[in-house]
Amino acid sequence: MNRGALYYVMIPLLLVAGLLQSTAATRIEIRGVKPDLVLLLIIAGTLVYGSRPGLVWAFIGGIALDSFSGGPMGASSLALMAATLAAGLGHRTLSRYNLLVPLGAAAIGTAIYGLTYLAILFVLDVFNIVQHRVPLVEMVQYVLAPAIAYNTILMLAAMPFLNRLPESQDI
Amino acid sequence: MRDSERRPWSIGDIGIRFLILGLAALLLMALQVTGRLEPIQSAATQLTSPAQVGATSVTNNVTDAVDFVFELRRLRQRNLELEQINSGLLVENFELREVERENQTLREMLDFAQTRPGLELRGAQIVARVIGRESNNFLDYIMLDLGQTHGIAVGMSVVTDQGLVGRISEVTESWSKVLLITDASSAVNAILQSSRLNGVVRGSPSGDLVMDYIPQGREFSIGEVVLTSGLGGRVPKGIPLGQVTEIRQRDIDVFQQAVVQPTVDFQRLELVMIVTNFDPLENVPDMLAPEVVPAGEPSPEEGALPSEEDAAADNAQREAP
Repeated sequence: MNRGALYYVMIPLLLVAGLLQSTAATRIEIRGVKPDLVLLLIIAGTLVYGSRPGLVWAFIGGIALDSFSGGPMGASSLALMAATLAAGLGHRTLSRYNLLVPLGAAAIGTAIYGLTYLAILFVLDVFNIVQHRVPLVEMVQYVLAPAIAYNTILMLAAMPFLNRLPESQDI
Repeated sequence: MRDSERRPWSIGDIGIRFLILGLAALLLMALQVTGRLEPIQSAATQLTSPAQVGATSVTNNVTDAVDFVFELRRLRQRNLELEQINSGLLVENFELREVERENQTLREMLDFAQTRPGLELRGAQIVARVIGRESNNFLDYIMLDLGQTHGIAVGMSVVTDQGLVGRISEVTESWSKVLLITDASSAVNAILQSSRLNGVVRGSPSGDLVMDYIPQGREFSIGEVVLTSGLGGRVPKGIPLGQVTEIRQRDIDVFQQAVVQPTVDFQRLELVMIVTNFDPLENVPDMLAPEVVPAGEPSPEEGALPSEEDAAADNAQREAP
């Protein structure tokens, strides 16, 4: 059984990435937008191992993120799980060695993650459960769109490492 | 079991897993909203705080080192000899520089406290260290290393010598979260220093602040300093917020808007002060004294200015389709 090193170290990696997200990531912000390290790690893991373990990683990674966030606990988990489902759609049918697959997964995953997170904030605000104002158009224009570009470029930079990981068996 | 003998997983497997984990996430959300997650969060934070402090410290050092490298390259181009001496001294004094910078910040904060005696600041523990920042791009929070045991409570203002940082939004025993004024949910009553016009300063996703509810027909200029007005009594009066960089005025609108560049450098926040108590009637320092209002014009304090909550609610309505 060859699951590859990434599978076994994924959870510790996610916790470290969550910590770095709240400390180091702000130092590499571009125009106020920082990369989503946890999201990228989960998308990479999902491309290699599929949605099933990806969902568990998304849940754990989301808890790590929400521990260092002013947002509602569980919101990042739900958003990451939605992104994982999208990234895992082509796991069996598309080759992750094709350049467009990881880049597309990063772009679409970031978009779905962002929109899901904003939707959760919006719903909680509408029902007056947690007050977080969500100016959707501005958020997409100033935050989500640059984040999609940033994460996609980072995924491109991570491609050489990703391509060296062995092809996984179904887990 | 060999992998080849495994049953191939179906959409149903993933659906069930998604459902279970999704419900778990919703349960966590409900527990947090009802406050039942606080003991667990507090315990978890006590475990993670040292790691966070360490990571922040390492990050700062790495950033300093990177900055130093760039500085080194420039200096080398200008003068090789000076650079060699400089690099030797800087390496030797690397830790001392960190201490010196902290000392400088503390001195500036002390000066800030002395010019505003109406603010009761937390004595020796007045200064809180920023141990973490918001982990996603959609919200603007920071985490501080002081909590309930240090007398910190929700709603307290957080400042630096540069101006208002935000307000405490969540507190546990040993740490607290601060909603920054740049967050879209933030709203602070403000006043323009020269024209004495009142308004409400909101955060925006672009990173700038927007001062809203400035009455039509009143003139103000680019470059004006924006201060907290103290209206509502939730934030001390006279704390700098920023400087006007753009005026948005349309005849069809009821109010004017101003785009405000924050005075606080949120990228470089390391130490902040928490205002635990203050006198709402504190006089603005002389340098911030109001200018004479021309005769016949209404006083800036007149008129029903929307409260911070009203402003937030109104903003939400504006955003609604």
